[in-house]
Amino acid sequence: MRPRLDRDVLRMAETLRRVLSRGSAVGTGEDTAEVGPPLLLLGAPGSGKTALLFAAALEAAGEGRGPVLFLTRRPLQSLPRGIGGALDPLRLQKIRFQYPPSTGELLRLLCSAHEAPGPAPSLLLLDGLEEYLAKDPGPQEAAYLAALLLDTVAYFSHRRGPNRDCGLMVALQTQEEGDNGNALQLALLQRYFPAQCWLQPDAPGPGECRIRACLEPSGLGPRTEWCVTFQPDGEMKITRWPTQACDPSSDKSSSSGDQP
Amino acid sequence: MAVTLPAVVEELLSEMAAAVRETARIPDEHLSSLKFIFGSSAIQALDLVDRQSITLISSPSGRHIYQVLGSSGKTYTCMASCHYCSCPAFAFSVLRKSESLLCKHLLAVYLSQVMRTCQQLSVSDKQLTDMLLIEKKQEA
Repeated sequence: MRPRLDRDVLRMAETLRRVLSRGSAVGTGEDTAEVGPPLLLLGAPGSGKTALLFAAALEAAGEGRGPVLFLTRRPLQSLPRGIGGALDPLRLQKIRFQYPPSTGELLRLLCSAHEAPGPAPSLLLLDGLEEYLAKDPGPQEAAYLAALLLDTVAYFSHRRGPNRDCGLMVALQTQEEGDNGNALQLALLQRYFPAQCWLQPDAPGPGECRIRACLEPSGLGPRTEWCVTFQPDGEMKITRWPTQACDPSSDKSSSSGDQP
Repeated sequence: MAVTLPAVVEELLSEMAAAVRETARIPDEHLSSLKFIFGSSAIQALDLVDRQSITLISSPSGRHIYQVLGSSGKTYTCMASCHYCSCPAFAFSVLRKSESLLCKHLLAVYLSQVMRTCQQLSVSDKQLTDMLLIEKKQEA
């Protein structure tokens, strides 16, 4: 039996946890009613952010906990890598895609979320946050958008009732290092998104693409690492990274978040 | 709440809430702690609370926000679910410089919750949308 994620460790990123542990053959987790705090998915272009968001949407849609709201600037041109075999039309129906074309339209959508009829989503996903933060917004504009995302999800959770919180996952494309404006912006976003998942392309094998995913659930647990592989046949496989070599400086292991 | 205050502040606020429930007043030592943690913002926030400058605005949908009438006569919007205030001090001291935990308006919101001195206002869902959006118009 493959290792399974510690629930405490990944309480913060429950939906992603389910996606990441899909490869582990251990149940799809009807015991996971709780939703972790907001998660920021970070990576360079082509690092699999959209594929992971889409996989998270399908996972959540399959749980019967309510619709999933997927926000992105423009319609997906094709199914993300790794989704092909897993696509269930019934699940897809439960995902509502909306394409706010500008920052103003996205803000309007979030501000008026309480006017929308129908059941409140169980998960809100936003792909391409960087596109809505273009034109060099000041800290207040970036914070306003982040805070509105949190407020919208808090409102959805309120409408869904006790213990049926709505989750939030946002993908942000990272830029080259050394850009101070972006460092400030990232630090600011991290205030609002305590959990982060960093995606790094790894040396790929022939015909396949391998992504290393570092999940940092903020102060509540140690970082965990995963290997996301897109195989030539389109299948997405997720396994635990063989060695926990990523930043051994973690001094958080003294807490109760230790894995048994 | 996803963006949380340091534990020490949470603890202080909940002790203050308990004291208000029991004795209907805030003990002096709590006020001293507030001043110690927040400096002059504490006095200014208490002043805003005294003047009943904090309004909890809600719509039939159940969504709500706070508005704080600042000492300058300007109204600032604070989110109910996470740390955000539309005032310049929040943008500068809290977000850009990380010098403060909160601006006086957000602190006033927390204190008014503790002291149960919020004004209440009901608006339509549409009006609440405009209040949430108004930020953008002010900045533009």
